[in-house]
Amino acid sequence: MTRLARIAASAPVPVFAAIGPGRQAETERLLARPGLRRADTARDAAILLVAGDLPEAAAPALARLHDQLPRPRVTLRWQGEGADETETALTGAWRELCAGGPDEEDRLPDAPTNAWRGVGPHGQGGEGMMGGTPYGRPMAMTGADIRDGLQLDRYSATLGPFAPMLPPGMVLDLTLQGDVICEAAVAEPPFAQPAEADAPALCAARLLRLLGLEKAARRVIGGRRPGALWITGAVPPGLGRIGGADLRARLAAWLADRPVTVPAFDLPALLAGAEWCEAMLILASLPPSELIRAARRDAAA
Amino acid sequence: MTDPVTDLVLLLLTGFAVWTGWRVFRVDSMVRASFSLMLSFIAVGAIGLLLSAPYIGIATVFMMAVEMMVMAIFMVMFMMNPAGLNPMMMVHQHGVSIAAGLAAFLGLGAAILLSAPPSDPVPPQAPVVAQLGHELLGPSMLIFETAGVTLLATMVGAVILSSRQGRHGAADEGSRPPGLTAGGAPAGRTPGEEGGPGHHHHHGGHG
Amino acid sequence: MTGLLVLAVLATLLAGTCFAVLLDRAQPALVAEFFRSRVETEAPDRLNRDLAPAWYLALAAIGLSVVPFAPGLALIDSPAGIVIWGSCEALIVVTVFLHGWAPNAPFPLIGAYRYAALALPVMLPSMFVLIAAALPAQSLSLIAIVDSQREIWNVIRQPLGLPLFLVVALALTLRGPMDYADGADIATGTSAEESGAARATWYLARAAMLVSVSALAATVFLGGPLGPLLPGPVWLWLKTAALMALTAWLGHHVARPPPGRMLTLLWIALLPLSFLHLAISGVLAL
Repeated sequence: MTRLARIAASAPVPVFAAIGPGRQAETERLLARPGLRRADTARDAAILLVAGDLPEAAAPALARLHDQLPRPRVTLRWQGEGADETETALTGAWRELCAGGPDEEDRLPDAPTNAWRGVGPHGQGGEGMMGGTPYGRPMAMTGADIRDGLQLDRYSATLGPFAPMLPPGMVLDLTLQGDVICEAAVAEPPFAQPAEADAPALCAARLLRLLGLEKAARRVIGGRRPGALWITGAVPPGLGRIGGADLRARLAAWLADRPVTVPAFDLPALLAGAEWCEAMLILASLPPSELIRAARRDAAA
Repeated sequence: MTDPVTDLVLLLLTGFAVWTGWRVFRVDSMVRASFSLMLSFIAVGAIGLLLSAPYIGIATVFMMAVEMMVMAIFMVMFMMNPAGLNPMMMVHQHGVSIAAGLAAFLGLGAAILLSAPPSDPVPPQAPVVAQLGHELLGPSMLIFETAGVTLLATMVGAVILSSRQGRHGAADEGSRPPGLTAGGAPAGRTPGEEGGPGHHHHHGGHG
Repeated sequence: MTGLLVLAVLATLLAGTCFAVLLDRAQPALVAEFFRSRVETEAPDRLNRDLAPAWYLALAAIGLSVVPFAPGLALIDSPAGIVIWGSCEALIVVTVFLHGWAPNAPFPLIGAYRYAALALPVMLPSMFVLIAAALPAQSLSLIAIVDSQREIWNVIRQPLGLPLFLVVALALTLRGPMDYADGADIATGTSAEESGAARATWYLARAAMLVSVSALAATVFLGGPLGPLLPGPVWLWLKTAALMALTAWLGHHVARPPPGRMLTLLWIALLPLSFLHLAISGVLAL
């Protein structure tokens, strides 16, 4: 390996985790180890770690996710081995990639999801000045704003099963105006996770990552104090209030290593009108078991 | 006399300002149009630097960057085609606008060429910023201070008028003040009874 | 002398960027990132996407050029030095917005306008704090501001100035509590659809901006090149390095509130505080 490749190989391994049913706790603990880094976006990762057995319905999404990783990339499946073995496998794969090792081809053809070539009067898929699907993207049209009585553009999207800021397996149909969620509907509930995923350290770490405190999240998973400033103060009071306890109270309980239970709640009502960061914080502040129950209720409805 | 390098730089900046100004109307994207306008103003600010008005020139760049940034955000918020992915026609009333532009150009050009603008160069060590400060807070204080306070009042008024949070409730629910006696009829005019000068129907966003 | 100053600015930027990368302990990851391939999104704005890191670097260089390396010596010796820095701040907001708008993707765009919504108000305390520092110097020129600190540094006679300016520094370098452009909740925002050399260059541009904003803070609040025994540039480098370390530490150890809360804090707490700071400094300077 050249000298530069050796320096690159000593970097924390950028892993994007596609977490399957039952593997959330183990994967989060594994990726909190020094030497491994959990990528916040697929474009930042080199290794796709597929943990557990994913259902068939998630296979096309996994193929799309795989193609989003920039090349050279490698996929590692974690079926049931120990965490230490997987860590060694990840580090070894990263070293091979840095040394110019094997690469993986795209799984899907590079074709747009909406056909646009030749459609419309100018051939770019649009209609007139403001309509149609130019270059394959549906043009955002105005819609009533839910807060201020304005008429802002509405953007509708489906946020897929492996979004890094959502619970693993959750598919949300969202309509956004700017970064405010107007409507949220659960298309697929998150994958089932065991009780270990509700551990206070893991729940606190999820929130700390969303608050921008990556190192503090690792320390908390490792059992130490977060070592960061203004953690509970940064969360607005009264956010995500369910049955008397708001997000701040739940975060404080998890940081004090106490488990949290929440009564039944309506997930779309909790998310509607929330700004994106607040909505992601709300989702991360719910213990996974309760969130899965609420999402299943909403998806069935 | 003027130095040929300064003349050349002035010509280039002028050309750039005019070209980016023209691009504002030729790009299909409203965001790109905002930033082309910003580039045009930056060129004008640079000309201000050449004219020994460093504060005015740099402050023009500062203000225009902020203003065009806000305009770009408004384009993304409200315009349904901010990226210009569909071709757009952004000019209305072609004939009138061409005539108005020509008239303005000829008028301003005549004003500049036929009048006698001062041509004495500023001495190199003149404290231009201090002199500008003395002017703003001396002879021109009334104009600038009233303009500043008026602008501030306008901004605050616009925000309050457009806010949903009315004084007695949500503005789009027709907030009404409480009654003069406890439980009595709300005081003041009831909304929706008088039509006003004429209803303006909102025609949603034009290109 | 101009040539020497150009060299000094470039050398400071280069060395400072390396120091910033070391502060983040990001050297191996940076090297690794350069080896990865670039990804393309559909119908991006190629010009802005490719040039945004270059503009960011250029703004860092311009910001550093107004800083005096020795008492009386700056590459750009303008009587309105502070306003040049202000225009750099405004153009940084534009650059980060364009960086997020260019890929034609939702998360980068959210990062872009979220950042603009927060960085524009952050510029207000920045300007008030810099104007307050210009009052004892009776000039907007940074060389005069350095001269006015010969008896006492501005960090002592105007104590609120440096903390407020550190908030601005975090916002301009997209770090920690003010990193709304590249936050984890929007999948690294404006960098969500970039990889390879583009991603690495954006990170390097942010590191260069850290050098620039710390050098300015060192000049305006810590006396810049003033100090006994050692030559001027060495003092400037030492003070810049200390502020860079402090800003990087704050970036890694302070939580980032949701944008709504940070906006409220800016308008309700930080802006009135900077007004108060300006008023007190004005009274003291009279």
